[in-house]
Amino acid sequence: MNQEPEVFQIVLLLSDDERSIQVKREEHIWDAAFAAGISLPAMCHQGYCLTCAGRLENGGEVDQADSLVYFPADREAGFILPCTGKPRSDLRIRTQQQNQMREFRKRSGLPAPYSWSKD
Amino acid sequence: MPEKQKVPVVKAGDVTQRVGVEVIRARGVDVEKLIKMLIANAAAEFASTYYYYTILRMHLAGHEDYKEICEDARLEDRAHWELIVPRIYELGGELPNDLPAFHDQAGCRAAKLPDPPTTVNILTLLLESERCAIRSWIEICDLTFGKDPRTYDMAARILNEEIEHEAWFIELLAYERDGKSIPSGHFRRGEPGHAPYSKNAGFYNP
Repeated sequence: MNQEPEVFQIVLLLSDDERSIQVKREEHIWDAAFAAGISLPAMCHQGYCLTCAGRLENGGEVDQADSLVYFPADREAGFILPCTGKPRSDLRIRTQQQNQMREFRKRSGLPAPYSWSKD
Repeated sequence: MPEKQKVPVVKAGDVTQRVGVEVIRARGVDVEKLIKMLIANAAAEFASTYYYYTILRMHLAGHEDYKEICEDARLEDRAHWELIVPRIYELGGELPNDLPAFHDQAGCRAAKLPDPPTTVNILTLLLESERCAIRSWIEICDLTFGKDPRTYDMAARILNEEIEHEAWFIELLAYERDGKSIPSGHFRRGEPGHAPYSKNAGFYNP
């Protein structure tokens, strides 16, 4: 019988470093990073504001059921919200992708908080 | 003292630039980012909370005390909205001339009536809305501390009230859901919408 793994290996591709952490199945990726001494961007901690956004490299599965707003298009484009995302596979995550995710949302006609300007 | 960067001098009579903006930019404030954050927070105060709290309050039937406290939070969020808007324009920003676009800029979710609209569900939603507000206002405090005293002062006043709102809703939810007493420690309000910090009213300080 195949059992789902309880812990996943997550590689965080930071702006100036690469760190590997272990994240439990029922743990938010952001929380595990914080516990490992890695302070990722975040604001609402509710899966809404996009401040914590990351992007998957090489695919993988993330459970975003705890996020208030997360679209299938976000998943297809590889964007994730680590503050409310739980791993379902080993992952490589490019961090600090809030601007990219907001631009993606705007291009897709989806809500992109913190992005409006008169220009 | 924050380190000052070189910025263009605003020439006498020039109305295309603002000294009030350039001096904070010179001290390291990312003004464009700040404007986006203020618009998102204004949308959260007005569209995500003030508007939806009106509906939430209506559904707290049988709990006149909860209704009154929800009403205080609602009217104080409206006071915050009124306080933020002039600062957006002073900084050279402007509100989206489209209400749905403005709504979608909110940094916190719309506090829509939960299903089912039980008292516990409504109080939980109110609590989490206030928590989002605290997190967004402290970001503005961090962004402006020691560099932009005008925005910082405004953000700190709003943050004071959001922190009090959180404490109230913790108290109410703990009592209603868990039968526990977790006092907020205060309820220094006069008439509804008193907003002692954001309207600069006198503080209750016996």
